[in-house]
Amino acid sequence: MSATRQRRPVVLLRPVPGTSVIHQLWAGTKLIVVLVISMLLAFYPGWIVIGLMAVLVGTAIWLAHIPRGAMPSIPWWVWALVLFGAITATMGGGEPVLHLWSTDIEVGGLLKFLRITALSIVLLALGALVSWTTNVADIAPAIATLGRPLRPLRIPVDDWAVVLALALRAFPMLLDEFRLLYAARRLRPRPVLPDGRAKRRRWLTDMVDLLAAGVTVALRRADEMGDAITARGGTGQIAAAPSRPRRADWMALSICAAVCVLAIVLEIRGLS
Amino acid sequence: MTSMGGKRARSLTPVETAQASVMGALSAALAIVSVVVPFAGALSLLVTVPMGLLGYRYRLRVLLAATFAASAIGFVIAGISGFMVVLNCAYVGGLTGIIKRRGGGVPTVIGVSVVAGVLNGLFIIAVLTVLVRLRTLTLEAITANVDGMLNAISAMPLLRESAEQMRLITAAVLRNWPVLIMVNSIFSIMLVSVVGWWALSRVLERLRGIPDVHKLEAVEETAPVAPLPIRMSQARFRYPGADHDALLPLNLTIDSGEHVAVVGANGSGKTTLMLLLCGRPPTSGRIDRPGSIGLGQLGGTAVVMQHPESQVLGTRVADDVVWGLPPGTRTDVAGLLGEVGLSGMEERDTGGLSGGELQRLAVAAALARQPSVLIADEITSMVDQRGREALLGVLSGLADRRQMALVHITHYNNEAEIANRTVNLSDSVDNMVMVGSTAPPVPTATVISTSAPSSAVPVLHLDGVGHVYGSGTPWAKTALRDVSFTVNEGDGVLIHGGNGSGKSTLAWIMAGLTTPTTGSCLVRGRPADECVGDVAIAFQAARLQLLRSRVDLEVASAAGFSPWDTHRVASALATVGLDGSLARRRVDQLSGGQMRRVVIAGLLARWPQALILDEPLAGLDAASQRGLLRLLTDLRLNTGLTVVVISHDFAGLEELCPRILHLESGMVDAASQATGAAGGVS
Repeated sequence: MSATRQRRPVVLLRPVPGTSVIHQLWAGTKLIVVLVISMLLAFYPGWIVIGLMAVLVGTAIWLAHIPRGAMPSIPWWVWALVLFGAITATMGGGEPVLHLWSTDIEVGGLLKFLRITALSIVLLALGALVSWTTNVADIAPAIATLGRPLRPLRIPVDDWAVVLALALRAFPMLLDEFRLLYAARRLRPRPVLPDGRAKRRRWLTDMVDLLAAGVTVALRRADEMGDAITARGGTGQIAAAPSRPRRADWMALSICAAVCVLAIVLEIRGLS
Repeated sequence: MTSMGGKRARSLTPVETAQASVMGALSAALAIVSVVVPFAGALSLLVTVPMGLLGYRYRLRVLLAATFAASAIGFVIAGISGFMVVLNCAYVGGLTGIIKRRGGGVPTVIGVSVVAGVLNGLFIIAVLTVLVRLRTLTLEAITANVDGMLNAISAMPLLRESAEQMRLITAAVLRNWPVLIMVNSIFSIMLVSVVGWWALSRVLERLRGIPDVHKLEAVEETAPVAPLPIRMSQARFRYPGADHDALLPLNLTIDSGEHVAVVGANGSGKTTLMLLLCGRPPTSGRIDRPGSIGLGQLGGTAVVMQHPESQVLGTRVADDVVWGLPPGTRTDVAGLLGEVGLSGMEERDTGGLSGGELQRLAVAAALARQPSVLIADEITSMVDQRGREALLGVLSGLADRRQMALVHITHYNNEAEIANRTVNLSDSVDNMVMVGSTAPPVPTATVISTSAPSSAVPVLHLDGVGHVYGSGTPWAKTALRDVSFTVNEGDGVLIHGGNGSGKSTLAWIMAGLTTPTTGSCLVRGRPADECVGDVAIAFQAARLQLLRSRVDLEVASAAGFSPWDTHRVASALATVGLDGSLARRRVDQLSGGQMRRVVIAGLLARWPQALILDEPLAGLDAASQRGLLRLLTDLRLNTGLTVVVISHDFAGLEELCPRILHLESGMVDAASQATGAAGGVS
């Protein structure tokens, strides 16, 4: 009867309401930063780099006024998996050795495990930051601008940007349709089946049925969308406002570049 | 196409663009759902199907564009890892689709997938060879985990020996990581390809016979754009393969400054006329224009169609107004939005607009092309009363003000009143089996006495129900507050509310599909979410509720009996007034009204406690609407079925639903609750 505790859902492609310095950055800047940081972490996954990037991402999240509630609830089994991984890694031992009171604990394995975990968390937070602060409508125009240098290579950047813009427009509608399909399936009685094999086969046909229904609806949507494009005389502009970096963007890019260079220098020095 | 020559011909056509984006979005949605939602884990084996379909039907360029869009969505949602997941699906899916088109079989799929696996493996090995540190870290972390586990196992004396062996094996495997990656890559790509191939074949089989609802076709034109005046003389149209004319010979002249209403029954050729005005050549007779039609071009012909959601192509209101205009065109977006009554909404998300607002936005986008002719094809038919009035307000006087021709095709006779003249296509129909035009839905008085045999046995009991979507997040949105009412056995209740009033949420709660955040919803004393299926619900999108390929399979699956039980299938169909001969029909060959009936047949065959219908009349023509209403009313009066209808219209629902609850911004109107009490609540 009282308010039930709800799990916080994963909210896709919807920025956190409100505005901030980070919200106002050009979408292209954010995409570049994500790409650069991801590459940096792939090449130098050391503690110093992970730490510095965590600070950078953390600061950006703080600047963007992201409330704690924006993070989806983490299911218990994720915690359980992390704990299991940590325990087995600790038992794996290895250098260095930690002297705790009178016992010696080898924490090498644990440290490796923690580093991988921290790396994944920074990457996830980075992705979340973009999706928390970027209006979906800004992404395709930004990609069209960023892709301009690729035009001479005969890559159809403009076609791709249009397709991306329309795909982002269709995406939430399709998610809604999946929600409906899943509900329609829940409403049905479950057939009683003799053994596991029959169950698996049933499940597979069920999935194909669901998929066929979903694809049918998507095709109809595509037909109507094709008509709407024809009615507009084909493709052309996709955004009313120009999409290009401003002063704040150059600043953000410079800060990011500076931190990245610092991280690389420290990492290489630290190892030699 | 070929005559366009050179660079232009290689660019994507509107149909290809739409297919690429929708299938790209579908593919990204499937891939992300399969990662985020645990129950759908094995769904990831089927995510290759949309891309396969695209590879099967269209050229490589379309597939590449869709792949780009899908992986970009993956990147925005989940960074590099999302990008890689989606890219992989597209890669494998595209390959299976292309093999299917070339007529290859399973051996080809296996052969190609091995090659693809080797290439993929080589790529990963190359990447990991460059990323030395990441590789070392990953391998060391895995070693630590495995060692730890083996250390724990070695604590048991019996298993010590095998643990030691395992340790050696793991070390050897990890030392030869490129081999491990290669083998894994080949096998996983082979598995996904074969399963994807199987699923694609099944889905393609199911897609045979799906009608193509795509209508508009751009015509190649060289003359300067000048569509007015249009002179049609004895223009007649018959679809290829049809046995009667879709449009009987018509004489019509349309000139600038005119507001012409086109009325007529379903099947009298209203939409066909729209197509002719947009450039389809007539089967016989002539259509003359001084220049070319210029569909969607500046100064040409603009069209607004029926479905609000599919009209709008931009994600943001301002972007939609300029969508598709030639690059560099300057547009007074604020002025146009003002003209259609959407002032100040430039930055709004189009996803949050109501049907009426979407249609007005579509009109603004059409006006941005400064058209000589604007064709409005049944633009009010899927919009609620308030939206309809606003739309008509926009259209009225538009032709005169902008010195253009407005062709307003409508279903409702009174909408034609604002026009300068009316063309009635029904007049020209000689076989009058068609249904007459309908009176527009008019809001009726809300207080109506109960005439139904309502007992005092409560079926549904809602007590203080409230619901917040995304509660606890910054996106929290209250859909319902403190809703309490009771629906008794045999009741007919209409839950009426506008866009965003929370009526659909209420329907989902009553069906047990959504658990309310506060309060309780009881079905004969049991919480609704513990007995999903006891209360039946028919969604507005009937097609999504038809999960099986054939009518008999569908009814049997929904009702829970064997599809071979032809007798029960036939009697279920008979309940909803469908002939037993329909049982073997494929669901995609049913009309909209038949789809609704098949859904209801499946639901009723389980003897539900109540039947909830979400916008049951939306998108149906007048005849199907009347038939469905008659059927539901008879069912309620004769079998004592409890019916709850969710709708934004009242039209013709009085007899089916004598009791009306008004829902506004998530609250039940106090006055209507009193009416409800008079309707039999103790």
